[in-house]
Amino acid sequence: MKTIRQSGLVRHHSTAGFHRSTGWMFVSFALILVGVFSIYPVISSFLLSFQTGRGAVYHFNGLGNIQRLLKDTVFLQALKNTFVYFIFQVPIMIILALTIASVLNNPKLKFRGFFRIAIFLPCVTSLVAYSVLFKSMFALDGLVNRMLLAINVVAEPIPWLLDPFWAKVLIIIALTWRWTGYNMMFYLSAMQNISPSYYEAARIDGANAFQQFRYITVPLLKPVILFTSVMSTIGTLQLFDESMNITGGGPANATITISHYIYNVLFRFTPNFGYAATISYVIVFLVAILAFVQFKLTGDDHAA
Amino acid sequence: MKKFLFVVLALMLTLSVFAAGDKEAAAAGPQKITIWAWDPNFNIAIMEEAKARYQAINPDVQFEIVDMAKADVEQKLLINLSSGVTDGLPDIVLIEDYNAEKYLSSYPDSFADLSSSFDYSQFAPYKVKLMTVGGKTYGVPFDTGVAGTYYRKDILEAAGFRASDMENITWDRFIEIGEAVFAKTGVSMCAFDPTDGGLVRVMLHSAGSWYFDKNGKPFLAGNPVMEAAVATYAKLINSPGTMKTSGWAEWVGAINSGKAATISTGVWITGSVKAEATQSGKWALAPIPRLNVPGAVNASNLGGSSWYVLNSSKAKATAIDFLKQIYAKDNDFYQKILVDRGAVGSFLPSQGGSAYMVADPFFGGQKVFQNFSAYMQKIPSVEFGSYTYEADSAIASVLPSIYAGGSVADALKAAQAQLENAIK
Amino acid sequence: MPHEQLLLRRLRGRPSAGLVFSYVFIIIVAAFCLFPFLWMVIGATNVSKDVSMGKLSLGMALFDNFANLNKLVNLPLVFRNTAFVTLVGTFFTLLVASMAGYGFEMYRNRHRERLYAFLLLTMMIPFAAVMIPLFRIFAKVQLLNSFIAVILPSVASVIVIFYFRQSTKSFSRELVEAARIDGLSELQAFFYIYVPSMKSTYAAAAIIVFMSYWNSFLWPLIVLQTNDKKLLTLAISSLSSSYTPDFGVIMLFIILATSPTLVIFFAMQRQFVAGMLGAGK
Repeated sequence: MKTIRQSGLVRHHSTAGFHRSTGWMFVSFALILVGVFSIYPVISSFLLSFQTGRGAVYHFNGLGNIQRLLKDTVFLQALKNTFVYFIFQVPIMIILALTIASVLNNPKLKFRGFFRIAIFLPCVTSLVAYSVLFKSMFALDGLVNRMLLAINVVAEPIPWLLDPFWAKVLIIIALTWRWTGYNMMFYLSAMQNISPSYYEAARIDGANAFQQFRYITVPLLKPVILFTSVMSTIGTLQLFDESMNITGGGPANATITISHYIYNVLFRFTPNFGYAATISYVIVFLVAILAFVQFKLTGDDHAA
Repeated sequence: MKKFLFVVLALMLTLSVFAAGDKEAAAAGPQKITIWAWDPNFNIAIMEEAKARYQAINPDVQFEIVDMAKADVEQKLLINLSSGVTDGLPDIVLIEDYNAEKYLSSYPDSFADLSSSFDYSQFAPYKVKLMTVGGKTYGVPFDTGVAGTYYRKDILEAAGFRASDMENITWDRFIEIGEAVFAKTGVSMCAFDPTDGGLVRVMLHSAGSWYFDKNGKPFLAGNPVMEAAVATYAKLINSPGTMKTSGWAEWVGAINSGKAATISTGVWITGSVKAEATQSGKWALAPIPRLNVPGAVNASNLGGSSWYVLNSSKAKATAIDFLKQIYAKDNDFYQKILVDRGAVGSFLPSQGGSAYMVADPFFGGQKVFQNFSAYMQKIPSVEFGSYTYEADSAIASVLPSIYAGGSVADALKAAQAQLENAIK
Repeated sequence: MPHEQLLLRRLRGRPSAGLVFSYVFIIIVAAFCLFPFLWMVIGATNVSKDVSMGKLSLGMALFDNFANLNKLVNLPLVFRNTAFVTLVGTFFTLLVASMAGYGFEMYRNRHRERLYAFLLLTMMIPFAAVMIPLFRIFAKVQLLNSFIAVILPSVASVIVIFYFRQSTKSFSRELVEAARIDGLSELQAFFYIYVPSMKSTYAAAAIIVFMSYWNSFLWPLIVLQTNDKKLLTLAISSLSSSYTPDFGVIMLFIILATSPTLVIFFAMQRQFVAGMLGAGK
């Protein structure tokens, strides 16, 4: 190897072959690990999705699981909830994160380092910690209601965990609290790559702050926005922790997500692994479609 | 930065060498018993006591009592049983009564048949019934969730009610009393979380009925007891005397802070009631109200769990002996766990013990555990079946429409359809 | 208006309305983000009853809470276990993922591009779906209840591979070319040229990976079985599910469990921001 590489001429001839083998060397560890710990289980669970049964005994069920899925009111409810989160939470969070990032990108603002960390901090907490906090803060008699009552925003306590609408709002608040700072970090980093001369020129042309944001920042950030929205889509469709730990999926399944329902089918109810596998392939399918749509919408055929 | 990275790197490498040495793979000898349970202040502490007592008899036996959240115990048990792997299983596991049959019938050969190892006539009959599948009895009955109504004597008296007014009443009467108490004192009669259907189970059980019929088929729609239970529960929730709470902390907080005058639930709440020392002497205990249907009694149950031995256990005989020596024999043990932890066992001989006879000044000198012991023996036996959680979920999803005044029969029909699909 | 004058006026003038608005906005947002942390600290100093009643002032129960926590949880053990899993896991994840990201980007070829696309697809599969087969694998090789089983499945994290590949796009190939001419092998070029010049990329990835190991819950719960292998998240979970949860103790535990991540983040935030910058293109 070494002699080949030292002679420029020979190397030139064998670039293709050399490239191939060295490239494989670098990616091999990852590929083996992904193969064993992701792809094999994925295939195995795909086969499982055509079976049904209880406990440890399974039999082939063809498309029976899919038929069952279409009649499963809890699944349909979970699908609906997941879409509500997707439609409301992802845009709210992305817009908020972009706004915060552009505010923090202003060099005239003091204590930027402090604000940046403060806003990033929520995503550092563990999910167990965060769900304990939120559950108690948003109890009927909890801190949040006490404060809202004290400043006269509401006349009576909001039934955060008891009302289907407010429970969804609570999930959206929790998600936004936890992940906005994380996304903000991506935008802020990307903004710092935008040359200040663009903004300078825009100001001279009389563009106001919003116009600068709309016509300079957003277009230049498109790849990052795409990346974060695809990641958030995956995250939302696989949403589990918040539903499981904060609202327990209730009231009356009003906040249950698809992943949470899979968990119930696996570990709360009498387990049916075949059916659970079928439901999880629904998620894969949806994520793939949504990611594709997002790529098309942003007019970018290459990954960010 | 470079130095820092190097230090971190060096540290990690040292640690990973450590990891290689770390593989001692705790080879479980035949004399080591692993136990899975939840709640460090209750089941775990009780098992530690049992362990100490058994080690006094048999010093060679080692114990590993693993403390996990209840959901975590269930999840780990299911994944081990479902994947057919026995290495990861414990020797003894705690299972909530409502779920016992799910494990026993879905994983038929995984649990040890203890029919001939224990004298089950010494345990509360309703506990024995729920762990008997196909004529074989698995498991050792442990704590009971015998239900009662704890109430504030002072508040009820202020509204003109005496102790006798709380005895042998129906839920309808309870609601009436509650409205009078609230009107006169401004204190809510009780607090409930509308998303939690626990009380529906209590009502069903008090009438000897359940979510399923004798053949294990869902029996929500067209079940008169079921209809009465959800309708009564909705009436209770909508009553002005009922305070709505969300979550455990707020529910318990409602009585500790004096905002609610009663709490009707399992005996395991005793510790939480007594947590507010300033209310000492003001509380009393009455039997739980009954459902207004034929055959209903003023005794029921909420929760409770039992110990099971795994068939794959390498120390099966020792594990069974351990449970026998302590849980089916040691009266003194039951007195101790009652005093220390407020745990009411279902081993009948233990209930004549000294701890059960204590007059508790917190309850104005009432011998509450003796009362509970009496209630316990009246609890009707029902078969919970394999699908309690599925049924719970189906009921929970229709409760809001019943609260809103919708048709009970239609709601139960919808719940029945959901339940049937869920257990297909 | 000439450019210089405009700048001068901005420098001298009072803060504009926009800036005032920015301060108000950012202070509100920061307050929302920090409030739960503040409340956690207050909670840790109060007894359980006061926590559940939403008491908003510091209490006197901090030391009692700590004593109780110490009684219920073997703190040194769970911290040692969690630190071990996290450090070893982070180290190997960074190594494997950065090599893969580098390999995919620097040595492009058709087959590997296809495989790469396939890898990205695997990210979309919910973990619950692969849990059973994964559990069977570790049972078969007798690695249940080992830290290896906790770490291995996350070592080849696709998202981290993706991140490194994106960052490598801004890495100058000439550096590697030069190294080759100097006689370095491909692996040497990776370790001596690429790794040192991507320090901030590694720092950013390290924080994210560190966090994910430190906070991991579901998988460790399934594969770890004995008390001597217990991790922080598992301990918090079992503590918060008891019949009579002690919220003061739980709050204190959460603070203790969260603080190492905070410390790491504070120590490395400069590199972190710089590293995100590299990947954000």
